[in-house]
Amino acid sequence: MKGSIENKTKHALVTGGSRGIGKAVCIQLAKDTEYHILINYNSNKLEALNTLKEVNRVGGIGEILQFNVVNVDEVKKVLDAWNERNKDAIIEVLVNNAGITKDGLFMWMPQNDWQDVINTSLNGFFNVTNHLIQKLLVNRYGRIINMVSVSGLKGTPGQTNYSAAKGAVIAATKALAQEVAKRNITVNAVAPGFIKTDMTSELDEKELKKMIPVNRFGTAEEVAHVVSFLASNKASYITGEIININGGIYS
Amino acid sequence: MNKEVIIEKINNFLIDEFEVESEDISPEANLKETLDLDSLDFVDLVVSVESNFGVKLEGEDFLNVVLLEDFYNLIENKLL
Repeated sequence: MKGSIENKTKHALVTGGSRGIGKAVCIQLAKDTEYHILINYNSNKLEALNTLKEVNRVGGIGEILQFNVVNVDEVKKVLDAWNERNKDAIIEVLVNNAGITKDGLFMWMPQNDWQDVINTSLNGFFNVTNHLIQKLLVNRYGRIINMVSVSGLKGTPGQTNYSAAKGAVIAATKALAQEVAKRNITVNAVAPGFIKTDMTSELDEKELKKMIPVNRFGTAEEVAHVVSFLASNKASYITGEIININGGIYS
Repeated sequence: MNKEVIIEKINNFLIDEFEVESEDISPEANLKETLDLDSLDFVDLVVSVESNFGVKLEGEDFLNVVLLEDFYNLIENKLL
């Protein structure tokens, strides 16, 4: 098809962009790219606005977008409404970052804790990506980056639910990458280890860092740099790849 | 919209947007082969149909579409 999508404003959507790694990704993309940043959040509007402020501070343009990735109807409704308001825009970069943990030993794990974690990481990936993929295919260019975890690769005790969800997203990353590669859409995942964020704030860094060759937790920015690279044109021959960012804890 | 108009519209966007030669267009032509479509290319067809006719096709709509004629009929039925 001959190009009909020129001169569209290009956007990068980061799910769970209000805090932690997602926030750092929003800011990094604003610094490194021309993309307008769509900061998705579920409950914490104040934090999302803070992220937007940071995006603006580094010279970026952005807006906040509320939806719960778990709720497929809400995802569709909000993104369709956004499309209606921004007819000349395209979401070209999607960072599936929204995730939660509900840790506990498997033998004591309530079904809800299993389901909630899978719903957010795995079904959230489906709900948002599936809704946007057709537009990316028509656009003949796109970048999808999934936030997974070392847990999804090696498995982490106390996180069977989280490990299962992230492992599933890793497999989906590889499969989808092959489906859409021909249209210049890359699908990759980054797998952080221990990163200093709210999600890991209750962990004992002093104790845990002994296991990490680099001997410290990583920063959200160290993850965001890799995401930003994968989101760029420079990474055009990398697809279906899972990149570890874990200070050498697992490779 | 009558059938002739539908066919003309479809033929026009096949020529304009999918770069199909007009002499290759006939009701008996195999849609996939004539248009040299792979499975991903159907997304372009969906978009063209949506912008020309205002109807949104799903993957399953194409299950019985082999010939260009089937495609004309599909759109006609969608517009009923």
